[in-house]
Amino acid sequence: MTISAESHTELGDIGSVAPVAIKESRWGQGWLSQHLGTAIVGGFLGYIFGHWLGNYLASGYPYIANSGQSSIADLLALLFMVLGWMLGIGALNYPLMKLVGREASHEVEYTGWSKYFRFNLDHKIVGLQYVVGVLLFFFTGGLLAMAIRTELLNPTVHVFSADTYIKIVSEHGTIMMMMATSVVVGPLGNYFVPLMIGARRMAFPRIEAFSFWTFLIGYVVIFSALPYGGFPTGWTGYAPLQTQAGPGMISYLFGFAIIGIGMMTAGFNLMITVINYRAPGMTWSRVPVFVWGIISTAALLTLATPVLFSAGLFGILDKTVQTAFYVNEHGGSSFLWENLFWFFGHPEVYIMALPGFGIVGEIIPVFTRKPLFGYRVAAAGMIGVALLSFFVWQHHLFQSGIDPDMRPLFMLTTELISIPTGFIFLVGMGTLYKAKIRYEVPMLFCMAVYFNFLIGGVSGVFLSDVPVNVTVHGGFFVLSHFHYTIMGGLIFAFFAGLYFWLPKMTGRSMSKKLGLWHFWMMFVFFNLTFFPMFIIGLLGQPRRVFTYAHNLQGLNDFSSISAFLLGASFLIFLANVMWTQFINPKPSPANPWDSLGLEWQTATPIPRHNFDRIPVIMTDPYHYSEVGAPKLADFGDDESEMSHTSTSSTAGYDSAE
Amino acid sequence: MTDTIKDASGMSNTPEEVEFELRAHIGSIWSGGRLFIAMYTFMVASLVFSYFYLRSSNNGLLWRPDHVTAPTAFGWAIYTLVLLAALMAFVGRSRLRSGGVLDWQVASWIGVLAGLVAIFLQIWEFTAVPFYPGSSGYASTFIGYSVMNIGTLAIVTYWLETNLARSYRLSKEIGGVRPLFSMDASAQSFRANVASMTYFMGFIVLASTLLFAMFYLL
Repeated sequence: MTISAESHTELGDIGSVAPVAIKESRWGQGWLSQHLGTAIVGGFLGYIFGHWLGNYLASGYPYIANSGQSSIADLLALLFMVLGWMLGIGALNYPLMKLVGREASHEVEYTGWSKYFRFNLDHKIVGLQYVVGVLLFFFTGGLLAMAIRTELLNPTVHVFSADTYIKIVSEHGTIMMMMATSVVVGPLGNYFVPLMIGARRMAFPRIEAFSFWTFLIGYVVIFSALPYGGFPTGWTGYAPLQTQAGPGMISYLFGFAIIGIGMMTAGFNLMITVINYRAPGMTWSRVPVFVWGIISTAALLTLATPVLFSAGLFGILDKTVQTAFYVNEHGGSSFLWENLFWFFGHPEVYIMALPGFGIVGEIIPVFTRKPLFGYRVAAAGMIGVALLSFFVWQHHLFQSGIDPDMRPLFMLTTELISIPTGFIFLVGMGTLYKAKIRYEVPMLFCMAVYFNFLIGGVSGVFLSDVPVNVTVHGGFFVLSHFHYTIMGGLIFAFFAGLYFWLPKMTGRSMSKKLGLWHFWMMFVFFNLTFFPMFIIGLLGQPRRVFTYAHNLQGLNDFSSISAFLLGASFLIFLANVMWTQFINPKPSPANPWDSLGLEWQTATPIPRHNFDRIPVIMTDPYHYSEVGAPKLADFGDDESEMSHTSTSSTAGYDSAE
Repeated sequence: MTDTIKDASGMSNTPEEVEFELRAHIGSIWSGGRLFIAMYTFMVASLVFSYFYLRSSNNGLLWRPDHVTAPTAFGWAIYTLVLLAALMAFVGRSRLRSGGVLDWQVASWIGVLAGLVAIFLQIWEFTAVPFYPGSSGYASTFIGYSVMNIGTLAIVTYWLETNLARSYRLSKEIGGVRPLFSMDASAQSFRANVASMTYFMGFIVLASTLLFAMFYLL
C-alpha cells in the first residue's frame, strides 16, 4: 500500500529543506525566472547603486591617496554587487520569505542544461557547478602564472614593469589559494559525500548552493582588483603595504571575506551532513577515508575561516573608515595582521592537503585490489593534522614580530605535525606494498601525489627549523616547497579524483590515451618547473621580484619553458573533457574500476535522491580481494544493488581505445 | 511490498525512512546550532586577541591615550537589551514547553524589539563616540567590535523573528494544534529550531558580557 502525499505531509516540510515539488508559475519559468543572467544583471545594477550610494554617503570624506577613488564607494559598490548577484540568482528568496513566515514553495526543479545555471538544491548539480567554477579559477590563475614565467625569462629585458609584475604575482597567488581551498571540497566533496555515506540529500541544501554562488562571485570580486589597479602585497596581504595600497586592496580584502563566507558555509553543511545523515550501519569506523578527509577539512574551514573573515573586516575598516588596526603609528600593529592571517593561513594549508589525502586513500585500494592498510591510522592522522594545524602559525613569523624565545616552541609544533602526516603516508605505502598495481590514469596521479608530496613535505621539515627558515625566508625555496605540497599534492589528487569519478558524474568515459598524455606531461614538467626553484632559492633569488642575478638566468629559463609545457598539459585535459564529454561522448560502464565504494553501487545516471531506499551499511568499503568478504550494504531493493565481484573489461575509458 | 510515503519532492519513503530523515533533520538543527557557536567563538576570539595584542603592544603609547572610553550609557543600554532579548528567549522557550504558545510569541516579540533597538543604538553610538576611529588601538578595536556586534544582533534578531513568523504559519498548517503537542515533523523541527536558537542566545550573553567588560569597564 502506498500512502499518498495528500493524506500525509510528515516530510513535506522538514524545515523546508527538501527540494520542493515542481509548480507551474508564470514567473517561475524560462527566461523570466532567476538564473545566471539575472544574477549578472543584479550584480551590475548593485555595483552601480553601491558606487553611487558610497559617493553620496561619503562625500567630503577622505579619498584613497592618488587614486581618485572613494574607498567607501568602492566597498559599497562591491558589497551591493554581491547582494545584487545573490538576489539575482535567487539565493535570498528563502531567507526573505522566512521573514514573513512563508516557505519558498515556488522553487522549480529545472531539467536540461538550464539547471546548471541556477540556484539548484541537488548536491550533484552543485558538485558539477563547482567543477566548472574551480577550473575557471584554476585556468585564470594558470594564465597569470604563465605571465610570471614569461617575465622571468630574462633578468634585464622586461615584459612588465616591476609594479605590474608584483600585481600579477599577487593576483595569481590569491586566485590560486582561493581556488585551492575549494578545489576538492566543492566539486568532489559536495557531489560524493552524501553518496558515500548513504544519504539521499545534504543537511542544508540551500546553504550548499549558497556556498557555490558565493564562491563564484568571490572570483569576480577578487578579479575586480585588476581594473582597480591591483594590489602589491602578494596573496598574504601584509601590512603596512596593505595600508598603503590603492583601491585594489579593497577587492582583495573583501574578496577574501566573501570567499571566506563560502568556505564556512560549505564546511558547515558538509560537517553537519556527515554527522547526521550517515546511513544506518555507517559507523565512524566504516566511514570512507575520503569522507574523513572532508570532515577534518570541514572542521578547519568552519573554525579557522572566521578568523580570516575578522582579519579582512579589520583591514576593510582600516581602508574605509580609517581605523588603525594595522597602522603602527596610530596604536595598531602590522604584526596583528600577520598573526590573524596565519592563524587562518596555516590551517588553510591543511584545508588544501587533507582532501587530497582523502582522495588518494580512497583510490589506491581500488587499483591495488587490497584493503586500505591501517584505516584507523589514516583517520587518526587526518584528525591529528587538523588539530595540530592550529598550533603552528607562528612559524610564518620566525622572521618578524615574534619573541625569539618562542621560536623553538613553534619549531617543535611544526615538526610534530610531520608525525600524523607520516601516518597518512604510511597508510599509502602499506597499501602499495606487494600490490599488483593497475596503472590506470587515476592511480598514476595518486602515485605522483606521494612522490611530489614527499619532496614538499621533507622540504617543509627543513623549513620548520629556525636556522634554515631564516636563511631561505622569502625566497624561491619556500615558493618551490609550497608548490610541491599544494600543486604536487592537492592538484594532482584533484585530477586523480576527476579521472576516477567523472565517469560516475557524467556517465561518460574519458580517453585513456589523452589521460596518459596529460598525466606524463603534467608530472614531468611540474617537476622540471619547480625542482629547479629549490636551487634558485638556495642561490638567493627572492620571491616577488621581477629581476634577478644574471647567473640564474639558465635555471630560470629552464623553469619557465617547463612551466609553459606544464600549462600545455592542461590543454590536453581540456581537450579530453571536450572530446569525451561533449563532442564524442561514449557511455561509461556502471562501475568501470570495480570499486566497492558505495557511490558506485547506485545507478548511473544517479537518481535524483541517490538511493531508492536508504541503504543499511554492513561493512567498510575496502574488502578488496578478500574471500568471503561481507556484503557492503543492504539496499532494500535487489535492482539497485550491484555485485561486489563485477568486472569490467573497458574500465572508465572510451571503449574505442 | 513495504508501505511508502511520498513527500512533497516526489521521493517515496518507508515509515522507517521517514523517521530516519526526521531524526537526521532534528540532529542537523541541534548540531548546526552548536557548530555555529563554535564558528562565532573563533570570530569573537579574533577580536579579543586583537584587543589584547594591541593593548600589550601599545605602539607609540597609543593604545588608549587619556583612558578614553566609548559612551558607557550606550554600552549599558545595548548590553541590557541583549540580556533582555536572551531572557525573553529563555522564558519564551520555557513557556512553550509547558504549552504557552501565545506566551512564547509575546516573549519573542519583545526579544525582536529589543534586538532591533539594540542594533539602532549600536549604530547611533557611532555618532557619539568621543574619538576618531584611527586615533588609538582602543578606538580601532571598538569600531571593529561595534560592526561585529551589529552583525551578531542582526543574525540573532533574524533568527528570532523567523521562528516567530514560523510559529504563526505552523498553527495554521497543523490545524490549530499547539506546536508543543503536535508530533508533526514541522512542529518537531520548529521546537528544535527554538531550542537551538535559545542555546545560541545564551552564548551571545556570555560573549556580550566579556566584550562589554573589555570595552566599557576595563
